[in-house]
Amino acid sequence: MQRYMKIVANIDKEPVNKETVIDAHNISKVYNPDTIPVYAVNNVHLHLLKGEFTALVGPSGSGKTTLLNLIGGLDKPDSGNIYINGVDITQLSSGELIDFRLKNIGFVFQSFNLIPVLTAKENVEFIMLLQGAGRSERDDRIKQLFRQIQLEDKLDSRPAQLSGGQQQRVAVARALASKPRFVLADEPTANLDSQSASNLLDIMAKLNKEEDITFLFSTHDQRVIDRARRVVRLVDGKIVSDSAAVATEHA
Amino acid sequence: MMILMMAWRNIWRNKMRSLVIILSIALGLFAGISVLGLYKGMMKSRVRNVIDAEQSHLQIHDPGFKNDYEPKFILQNGSSLLKTINALPQVKTASPRSITNGMLATASGSSGVQINGVIPDLEYKTTQLKAKIIEGKAFDPARKNQVIIGKKLATKMKLKTGAKLVLTFTDTAGNLVSGAFRVAAIYRSDNAPLDERNVYVNISDLDNLLNIPGAFHEIAILLKSDEDVGPVQQLLKQKFPGYQIENWREISPETDLMVKTTDQYSYIIMVIIMFALAFGIINTMLMAILERTREIGMMVALGTTRVRIFLLILTETIFITITGTPIGIAAGWLVINHFNKHGLDVSGMGGEMMSSFGFGTMIYPEFPIDKLFGILVIVIGTALISCLFPAMKALRLRPSEALTR
Ligand SMILES: Nc1ncnc2c1ncn2[C@@H]1O[C@H](COP(=O)(O)OP(=O)(O)OP(=O)(O)O)[C@@H](O)[C@H]1O
Ligand SMILES: [Mg+2]
Repeated sequence: MQRYMKIVANIDKEPVNKETVIDAHNISKVYNPDTIPVYAVNNVHLHLLKGEFTALVGPSGSGKTTLLNLIGGLDKPDSGNIYINGVDITQLSSGELIDFRLKNIGFVFQSFNLIPVLTAKENVEFIMLLQGAGRSERDDRIKQLFRQIQLEDKLDSRPAQLSGGQQQRVAVARALASKPRFVLADEPTANLDSQSASNLLDIMAKLNKEEDITFLFSTHDQRVIDRARRVVRLVDGKIVSDSAAVATEHA
Repeated sequence: MMILMMAWRNIWRNKMRSLVIILSIALGLFAGISVLGLYKGMMKSRVRNVIDAEQSHLQIHDPGFKNDYEPKFILQNGSSLLKTINALPQVKTASPRSITNGMLATASGSSGVQINGVIPDLEYKTTQLKAKIIEGKAFDPARKNQVIIGKKLATKMKLKTGAKLVLTFTDTAGNLVSGAFRVAAIYRSDNAPLDERNVYVNISDLDNLLNIPGAFHEIAILLKSDEDVGPVQQLLKQKFPGYQIENWREISPETDLMVKTTDQYSYIIMVIIMFALAFGIINTMLMAILERTREIGMMVALGTTRVRIFLLILTETIFITITGTPIGIAAGWLVINHFNKHGLDVSGMGGEMMSSFGFGTMIYPEFPIDKLFGILVIVIGTALISCLFPAMKALRLRPSEALTR
């Protein structure tokens, strides 16, 4: 009971604390609850501040994708609440969630990120059109984003004409096009060679540093983990370590 | 705007599949239009036959005549009536006839017939009797008791030109009378049942036997233009209220009915063709969507509303449909136009059947321009309905599941 009170108190404070972008409380996701239940995410608390550059790590099947889907509003937890800037997204209808994702969350997926019939520029523009951005705003933003991902010469290439690394960079540009509160990336480097992976990380780190963009990405790759400023480790759906927590505990 | 562009590009992702479905829409439309064109041509020629070779535009009888074809119901004051009719500017020709039902007998058998007593020159102009003759010669003014019979009857009764036969019927007084006639000619029209039933003799020969000299039962009127049927009928009804004055639709209601049912029929055929097409469209769109499960899931994950996804699928379906439509219409137009000029000879297949329904063996199809709008509504409607199911499938996708597939 006391614990519950504490959480409520915490929530009440949420809008005041502008630094918090994600606040996940006690979230769980169980697959096949009727047959052989799989606790893909088990009672997870996660608190993410603006400007953090966080890696979600853990062995295969540990629940990284599931957790990211829950935080991104692509899936609903069986229990728990997820606050994004004070809004509990677990209470939103699927229609409201679509709108919420469009306005608040940038996504980079492992593969099949881009719409194949659209050029690199159109893929980025697509999101901005969904948001109803005007022509000049789109043009300016696209120019800026493609400079940042260093693909100014590939504006009119179709995804099939781009390398895997280039495609992921376009996906990052698209994720940022909507000016989201944070970017979720599920194993963005998994299909890339190490050179491309490190290049993508460079760009993400630079955006994080220069524009204070919040990234939460999952990965297996130790070299990627090394670039993160905060590392959250999952095993069997549970957070077993969190460098930020350690840092605060020691503080 | 972007949805239109995406839809268009999506169609060409699987060129072969899209082409197949576009061509089947074109083919379905082509088949539908061809059938409609064929019907339209057939109906038109059937109506022309009814007017120009069978019933004429208008017929006048004594109101009692058509009940039993009793010979006593002659047209009163027939000759002055005929004179007035011939004076009307809209009238092309008018043919008076004496008509009775009787029995045609030869040495080997007999058959019920309608005996038409005609004035040969007027009949030739009104129903083209002379042009229909395929054996023998037209009436010879110098000879008496000649008869012209139809090919179907001639075959059935094994009659040749020059053969003798006896016509038996009752006169105005109810006495049985008979006359011996010689076959002058055999005719054939596009309407086999009529050929079997109608025989033609000189009006004076028949009137003598019926004992109604100089009288007749019917005036068939051929007008210069189809449009005048209504006004002239009105006028005659006003002037001659004591007579039964009917137009061709009233005389031959089955023709009118046939034209109308064929109209409905042709829409049914269209709907059947479209029904088959609907399965093709559903199948194609379903495959296109299942192939793109991940992509659609990704689009929804990014924040594309379901309305937009639905619009995308709808637009793709419409694009496919409206690409196929002009191809089908153009092909139909070309083929129909060709046969409209040169005629389509169906004597090889089912000429017998055609003539038993009163159709010629040459069909001149006509482009069904009057039904084009209806056809387009059906085609577009089909496309819209058939994309609903695949679209529902796409809308039910959960993004988290679609992405992991
Ligand atoms: N749709 C589902 N139905 C049933 N079980 C599922 C489903 N999705 C995931 N799981 C299970 O949930 C657990 C967590 O899976 P998840 O995909 O989140 O792991 P992950 O850490 O992303 O693994 P990987 O590194 O291989 O991507 C696994 O045991 C998996 O088998
Ligand atoms: Mg995963």
